[in-house]
Amino acid sequence: MSIGARNSVLFAAAVLGLMATAGTHPAAQERGSVRGRVSIGIPVTAKRATSTYSRNVPTVTLAPESELRHVVVYLKDAPRTAAPAMHAEIRQRNENFVPRVVAVTVGSTVDFPNDDPIYHNVFSLSRTKTFDLGRFPKGKSRGERFDKPGVVKVFCQIHSHMSATVMVFDHPWFTVPDEGGTFELPNVPAGTHQITAWHERLGDTTMELRVEPGRSDTIDFVLPVPAQP
Amino acid sequence: MRTPPRLLARTLTVTFVMVAVILTVVFVVITLDVRDRVRAAETDKLRVSENVFSALENKRQQDQVAAMATLAEHPTLKAALDTYFTERRFSGSSDEQLRATVTGETAKLATQTPADVLAVVETDGRIFTSAGPAAWRWPVGTSVDIPGGAQPVFQSVAVLPGGAFRVTGARLTFGDRAIGALVAGTSLDGNYAQELSNLSTAGVVITVNGAVVARTVPDQVARDLVASRASGGTVTLNAEEYAVRPMLFSGPARIFMLTSVDAAARTATRDALLALAMIAFGSVLLAALGSFWLARQVSEPINRVSGEIATMTAAREFDRTLELSGTSRELDALTTAFNDLIRSLDAAEAETRAAYLGSIRALAAALDARDPYTAGHSERVSTLSVMMGRVMNLPPKEIEVLRLGALLHDIGKIGVSDQILRKNGPLTTEEFEQIKRHPALGARILRQVPFLASHLPIVELHHERPDGRGYPFGLRGEDIPLAARIVHVADAFDAMTSARAYRAARGSSEAFAELQRFSGTQFDSVCVEALLAAIPSANDIEEPALAQLLGRQLVTHH
Repeated sequence: MSIGARNSVLFAAAVLGLMATAGTHPAAQERGSVRGRVSIGIPVTAKRATSTYSRNVPTVTLAPESELRHVVVYLKDAPRTAAPAMHAEIRQRNENFVPRVVAVTVGSTVDFPNDDPIYHNVFSLSRTKTFDLGRFPKGKSRGERFDKPGVVKVFCQIHSHMSATVMVFDHPWFTVPDEGGTFELPNVPAGTHQITAWHERLGDTTMELRVEPGRSDTIDFVLPVPAQP
Repeated sequence: MRTPPRLLARTLTVTFVMVAVILTVVFVVITLDVRDRVRAAETDKLRVSENVFSALENKRQQDQVAAMATLAEHPTLKAALDTYFTERRFSGSSDEQLRATVTGETAKLATQTPADVLAVVETDGRIFTSAGPAAWRWPVGTSVDIPGGAQPVFQSVAVLPGGAFRVTGARLTFGDRAIGALVAGTSLDGNYAQELSNLSTAGVVITVNGAVVARTVPDQVARDLVASRASGGTVTLNAEEYAVRPMLFSGPARIFMLTSVDAAARTATRDALLALAMIAFGSVLLAALGSFWLARQVSEPINRVSGEIATMTAAREFDRTLELSGTSRELDALTTAFNDLIRSLDAAEAETRAAYLGSIRALAAALDARDPYTAGHSERVSTLSVMMGRVMNLPPKEIEVLRLGALLHDIGKIGVSDQILRKNGPLTTEEFEQIKRHPALGARILRQVPFLASHLPIVELHHERPDGRGYPFGLRGEDIPLAARIVHVADAFDAMTSARAYRAARGSSEAFAELQRFSGTQFDSVCVEALLAAIPSANDIEEPALAQLLGRQLVTHH
């Protein structure tokens, strides 16, 4: 399936979703959705947010596709909005946190199951949530609940090269792109928004986008390649 | 005339000159040839020790890199640093507690490294925190450029406003994600130069951008090194030869190790010269002793022989020969030649004496012949005196004096007129006074002949008497020389046993009786005894043998 085809499907789904919500919620009229694609590579000028058509230009990919899973796209200036708690999981596998990046809503719990035949430890020094789950062996899992928004860095005391990031939001407008870099933020309140694509290593890129009610706007991010050592 | 030097002095001089020449040659050889060898050997030694040090230093640097790589895996440090940066980026505000955590962990790590400073450097090159004695020269927030700092581990030189540092570092990473670097810096200062110098036992010069920042060698040497732009090999610095080896060329910094070849060679040469001096001292001492002994060996027998000759000359004893010393053939040849010379001189002298004696005897005989009655008188008195002297065990020399003295005892009568001498009848007092003058006269004549000096007393005093009534001086007893007393008795005995114009000859026994009668008064008693002993059959004077001995037949038969 080509990207264009998939986008069409997603677009159709979004339209259906909008239509579904339109009748039940008065505010639904003032919402739109943001779709786009995140890529890592040579910087290109972002498409104009108001562009009415989608331009799919193959770009030179300089990072493995999986790096795109370490990106979180979110509304930077989103008002505090209650969102249902989630349940996420960061496994410890082959001396790595998998996935390295998760994004959850406030009140969510993240479990840290150990898949390795060795001990691991999970701790954090972040202001958002400081914790230390201690050491636990294979097959065990310990969880942590995040009640404050912010970024939480998670490390293993035993294996100093392991790190993961839990991003906690007090609103629902955030997402992690799929392996192709495609993402969608639905039900975004209409208006001008700061949208940020955050990467644990490549920094973050923030762009402004005017979200039209009932429309799906497209924004593409190109995250800068880090200076090669 | 100049006194020639002593044999000892000459020997010592020659020996010392020889030894000095040998030593000078050896000294020249050592300073020219051995110095070069020593220098070559020292250069090799330096190279070897420098290689050893380089290997050690490489190992040390590897260890440092490994240590830094280990330190850079500090979980808390990394976690705090990563969290700090992530939060700052996400929320725009930084958590000073995390910075304090990083700073605290860095300070703890700093105590575990020997480096002057341990710093955490952000990915953009700014100093996040620093700890250690030289931390004040790594102020937080300052940008520091570390060549090669993007490598996982690195070693290079960083120049900060506070000075140059030799740095060893490791990146702080999570997988391939770098969050900064942990850097250990060693200040390129005098302490570090001294430390390297101590480890390498060589001099160290550190330059940054061509300026000397630290050195353990004299200032002029360091400046010459910079001016020479040398990067190794053998360089002449401050008029001395140095083996220079580059230890570190990194960025603007240069670390040189250098050792003075001359200084090393100097020590070795000094040792060699010291040994030579000892040998020289020893050989001079030995040579001195040897030549002293040799000279003594030669000069001592010569001195002994010449001393003996001097003694002989002083005592005028030429009848004995010098003993051969047996120390050297040459000296023995000299001694033998001397003995031969003495012998031939002796023979010549004996000949001369014989000639003298002949003339004297002829003179005495001529004198005796003036009066037929006294013919042969001198010869007989001489023979008698010699016989008496032998009985009295006189030394041969005195016997000879006696023999000649007795022969000449009446030489003074040459001045007495024939008329008085031949007067047939008693002499008047005046005539007798004339007779009495003959001893003094004889002495006056003989005084002209030095050879006859020892015979003078006999001639002069042969009429003295023990009782002091003799003439010419009236000496008494022991004051009269023994020879004169002997001749006096012999003269009287011969006179009594000889006929005179005025009387017949008396028998010898009668003469003996006469002598014994006046023994002690007119005649010396010892001499009378000697005469009696010399003529054992004095009572049988008619015995022909004795008569012949006494030469009497001339008188008795005429």
